[in-house]
Amino acid sequence: MPVIRMENFGWRYEGQERWALRGVNLSVEQGEFVAIVGPNDSGKSTLVMAMNGLIPNNYYGVIEGSVVVKGMDTREHPVADIARHVGFVFSDPESQFLSMTVEEEVVFGLENIGLDVDEIRERVEWSLGLAHIPMDYLEKPPYELSGGQKQRVAIASILAMRPEIIILDEPTSMLDPVGKTEVIEVLREMRRSYNATIIVVEHRMEDIAPLADRFILVHDGRVLRDAPPREFFDDIDFLLEHGVFPPEPMVFVSELRKMGLYDGPIPLTLEEAISASREALSGLRGR
Amino acid sequence: MGSAEVSGAGAGEGEVAVDVQNVTFVYPDGTVALRGVNLRIERGEFLAFIGQNGSGKTTLSKVIAGLLKPTEGRALVFGMDTREAKTSYLATKVGYIFQNPDHQLFNDTVYNEVAYGPRNLKLPPEEVEERVREAMRIAGLSDEYREEHPFFLSKGLRQRVAIASILAMRPSVIIVDEPTTGQDFKQSIEIMDFLTDLNRQGYTIIIITHDMPIVARYARRTVVMADGEILMDAPTRKVFEEAEVLERAFIKPPQITLLADALADLGAPRGALTPWELVEWVRGIAGESGSGRVKEINKGG
Repeated sequence: MPVIRMENFGWRYEGQERWALRGVNLSVEQGEFVAIVGPNDSGKSTLVMAMNGLIPNNYYGVIEGSVVVKGMDTREHPVADIARHVGFVFSDPESQFLSMTVEEEVVFGLENIGLDVDEIRERVEWSLGLAHIPMDYLEKPPYELSGGQKQRVAIASILAMRPEIIILDEPTSMLDPVGKTEVIEVLREMRRSYNATIIVVEHRMEDIAPLADRFILVHDGRVLRDAPPREFFDDIDFLLEHGVFPPEPMVFVSELRKMGLYDGPIPLTLEEAISASREALSGLRGR
Repeated sequence: MGSAEVSGAGAGEGEVAVDVQNVTFVYPDGTVALRGVNLRIERGEFLAFIGQNGSGKTTLSKVIAGLLKPTEGRALVFGMDTREAKTSYLATKVGYIFQNPDHQLFNDTVYNEVAYGPRNLKLPPEEVEERVREAMRIAGLSDEYREEHPFFLSKGLRQRVAIASILAMRPSVIIVDEPTTGQDFKQSIEIMDFLTDLNRQGYTIIIITHDMPIVARYARRTVVMADGEILMDAPTRKVFEEAEVLERAFIKPPQITLLADALADLGAPRGALTPWELVEWVRGIAGESGSGRVKEINKGG
């Protein structure tokens, strides 16, 4: 049974004539890693806010179709019920850091659900470990942390609640390259050792392509593509036409294919691109 | 898209726009942000400053814009020492566009925002009007926005208002801090093509950025900073060939450059900056080896 199912879902914000999203049919299975890409203002954030019930519960607007999360129709269940199953990480780490220390930040939600001290301690250690935050950071105030560290603390505090679904809306967009790399590493670690459903909106396709089971392209309020990475990136020109710039090595190999020099699959990593290019070019050099 | 081929560091011909001489800058809390930096920029160049957060690139830009005065050494803008120059003089020479346009916009209409600087220069109203009109046109803002409140415009448009308000001062050097952060691919290309266009009209452009593919495509000269010093200052292509220096600055070259390096033994151009450069190279060797296959496909496509 899918953990999220959207049927003919549409949403129009109050006061807007344009539908932010329309005619969306998709389902997400337990344990899938889903990447959502597309130009700004195409409907990506609306899509993920509909997956945790923020839409329609916390926004005014017109809804079409339905979204069912863990068996709960989001029109009938408050966000609080849905949030027990779905953690949400925003792009701006500043906006979600509420507490005076790292420890308070991570423990806050756990105390709220009434866990005992041992359980809390165990979850804090586990979530900080996953997010690569050293234990001696617990006493640190937020202003002593870099952007990447703050975002990782935000992720740890969500992970500590052990949601079955975790949604990250452009978690690296406000970070410098070091911070971006740190957060991508955490995603990799989550992929490896935490069997949750992970849904991430992210522009950095070169890092996400090797991690994701599936890519979804949102464009102008519609889901235009929904496929495993290999298939998703197979038609590079289609992506370029729709405002998505795939990793440059993929663009090059796609050109080799158009020249008739290569007929293998599109590479998902730099290493794959290197071997694909070598394979294509060896024929040429050999005459 | 910008060609990264033209002139590089210190072409040595044109008018010197910026001359940073042995500048050290220490913040009040004791942080040493720049250590003995020397940099000469000529009118009409297109540069990128790259480096980690804390490397000194933003401090250096602010010294150039006269927003910060050197602790030691001096910075000359068109021959004038920034410590002696009036703020109003500097504002007409160097414009600084902040990463977040909202840190810069504070007027109630687009018109007032763009007119603010020229009015401060006590220019006559006709002149103010003319400058606003010109700046809005160059920044791609149509007249319908004149009376709009900047706050209610999209981020892309707010950035254009910020740029227009700088252009209205007619500075010859424009510094843009992180022009592509938070923008998607298409928006980034739009902004960068716009800056390229300004550059063609004679403006000197400096971008401060973490976005290496953007540097590769647009900047002719790149300054790599780490720990308050300039590690390298060279034509962009040359910079991306120096993987070890970049590593010291914790910068990863664009993936396409790494791919080209990995294919160097097959003759791939070192320091390639775009997929299209590699495609050109492949077309070249395919032609040489007389592979009819490729030619036919090219004709067909």
